[in-house]
Amino acid sequence: MKIRPFRLALLALSLLIPAALAAVVLFLLIYAGPALGFNGFGFISRITWNLGDLYSDPVTTRGVLVPPGASYGILVFVVGTLLSSGIAILIAVPLSVGAAIFLSEIVPPRVRPVLSMLVELVAVVPSVVFGLWGIAVLVPFIGNILGPALSDTLGFIPIFAGGNSGGGYGLLAAAVVLALMITPIIATTLLDALMQVPKENRESAFALGATHFEVVSKAMMPMVRTTLIGGIVLALGRALGETMAVLMVSGGGLNILPSSLFSPISTIASFIVSQLDSAEGDPTNMAVRSLAEIALVLFIITLITNAGAKLLTSGLPHVHLRSKKH
Amino acid sequence: MKFANKFSRSTFLRAGVAALALAGLTGIAGTAKADTVTLVESGSSLLYPLFNLWVPDFTAANSSIRITTTSTGSGAGIAQAIKGLIQIGASDAYVSDAMSAKHPNILSIPLAISAQTINYNLPGMTGKNLHLSGPILAGIFMGKITKWDDPAIAAANPGVTLPDHTIIPIHRLDGSGDTFIFSQYLSASTPAWKSALGYSTAISWPAIAGEIGAKGNAGMLAAAAANPYSVTYIGISYAAKVAAAGLGTAALKDAAGEYVLPTPTTIGNAANSVVTDTPPDERISMIFADGPMAYPIVNYEYAVVSTSQPNGDVATALQTFLNWAITTGNSPQYLDKVHFLPLPSAIQILSKTQIAKIQ
Repeated sequence: MKIRPFRLALLALSLLIPAALAAVVLFLLIYAGPALGFNGFGFISRITWNLGDLYSDPVTTRGVLVPPGASYGILVFVVGTLLSSGIAILIAVPLSVGAAIFLSEIVPPRVRPVLSMLVELVAVVPSVVFGLWGIAVLVPFIGNILGPALSDTLGFIPIFAGGNSGGGYGLLAAAVVLALMITPIIATTLLDALMQVPKENRESAFALGATHFEVVSKAMMPMVRTTLIGGIVLALGRALGETMAVLMVSGGGLNILPSSLFSPISTIASFIVSQLDSAEGDPTNMAVRSLAEIALVLFIITLITNAGAKLLTSGLPHVHLRSKKH
Repeated sequence: MKFANKFSRSTFLRAGVAALALAGLTGIAGTAKADTVTLVESGSSLLYPLFNLWVPDFTAANSSIRITTTSTGSGAGIAQAIKGLIQIGASDAYVSDAMSAKHPNILSIPLAISAQTINYNLPGMTGKNLHLSGPILAGIFMGKITKWDDPAIAAANPGVTLPDHTIIPIHRLDGSGDTFIFSQYLSASTPAWKSALGYSTAISWPAIAGEIGAKGNAGMLAAAAANPYSVTYIGISYAAKVAAAGLGTAALKDAAGEYVLPTPTTIGNAANSVVTDTPPDERISMIFADGPMAYPIVNYEYAVVSTSQPNGDVATALQTFLNWAITTGNSPQYLDKVHFLPLPSAIQILSKTQIAKIQ
């Protein structure tokens, strides 16, 4: 048989990435194995996270050697992750839709590349910079101005309560920082799609006497809807896994579910970072294994999100056809 | 999808750089030639500034030894020293009994003495030192004392007008030696704290309305400065920045019942009071030490090292550096900059005995 070195090399390289992914999953599963058994299904539904007394002799609990008092429950972090990312999406979508339409419709073509490059630049700002901005500007603003104002006027609605007691660290600060980080992702994805809407569609809509607003909302947006959804899910994936910026402004809520926009929260990714150092002091290793189990949960959540994105964006040509029929 | 590609590419790039850096590190540590030996230090962020003062001077005098330092956290320092990935694990806490039993070749060698301050942001109280005690702080951080004019705080501060305002407790959200010694003080002074929460580098903090979790000593300082009516605990190496931010420093109730401020004298008193009790393995807490005018939150900063090093050259280099650190390195020109105190001479002897065990 003829040996084809080029083909084989390409095959090996292309298999490397899925192999690495499989290796990570396998590692997480094996490493978290004892924790999966110890924590059971209550892992996701329990609120209390306690590493236990790492400085006492380990005791046998449910047949496994763990530090006394150890109890691992991650509901607080799952809720914190989903809420902060969800609110970030709510803030980011109108912002990025507005920005993309502005860039494609209002801005003169000569200025457009400069402005769209600026938007893209925001996407590559390291997250720790957003975190620092959050601590220096956003957190004091929420703590001293926005929080008290919202609580005094709308405090009767539970989600706006408590804005005058904390320091601005919490769910809202995390969501705003995340929103800023993901806005350029959605905006540039959408801008690319808007620029690809055929000129004919746009011009015929104008010819039919549609106003500029109607052209955008009725002729253009339906054609890019799936791209928009794809961009949103892509951004959601980034928000779910964001670590450092969230860690810096989230307030690190522990053992309590958030009750308002101003409650301190922890997200899964930021919590793993904040606990890893202490977990390594656990002589039974159960703490690190439980962190690996959290990583597994985060992996599953992002997998679901990305699978959703694939499903939605694969419907793209289909929607194009349908929108042409209209 | 254009963006997805861009992101994953930069991620790979970053991973690649990290891998290269890692390979470089292990490569250097592995090639322990007769002429140059490289020691890797990693761990406590409180000790990191001191190592950065030590290393240039030490390597200038000992050209055959190179030392790389990184700040990762005490837990990581201990874990990596046990795994043999690094030679010196810097830690604010000694290796626990359970860990010690599991890894009998791991030594905890004190390098210097550090302390922790309790700081608060109380408008109108600048320059005054509030009196606080373990039970009061435990009450605040458990959510049982919620107002500054609580009777317990008022009783400790006769003649001081306290504000009728909610207390904002600020704690570390990352694993920290500061959390370890703070919770050790609360455990030693307050049975209710000991039974409910104990001590650790990461406490399962009770939920309190308005509380803040902050990252690192710098984050604690920023959060306290930005939030009037907050109270927090900060490593003493930040004392100058704490003062510059206008935060108050509390006088704490010691084991003898007096309220003492963190000064070189009171910190030294705490250290001296445990000198005779320090066991040969030097794993002892100086928290809430007996003795007059002894500041209650004082600790040894440790080098966690393994007695069995890969070869004789590394062992000799390690001994040379550690012996230098606890003698020349303990002089005021280094320690004063980070507000640490030198080891008492009796402890220095114990440390030297431990250092001699490294092979």
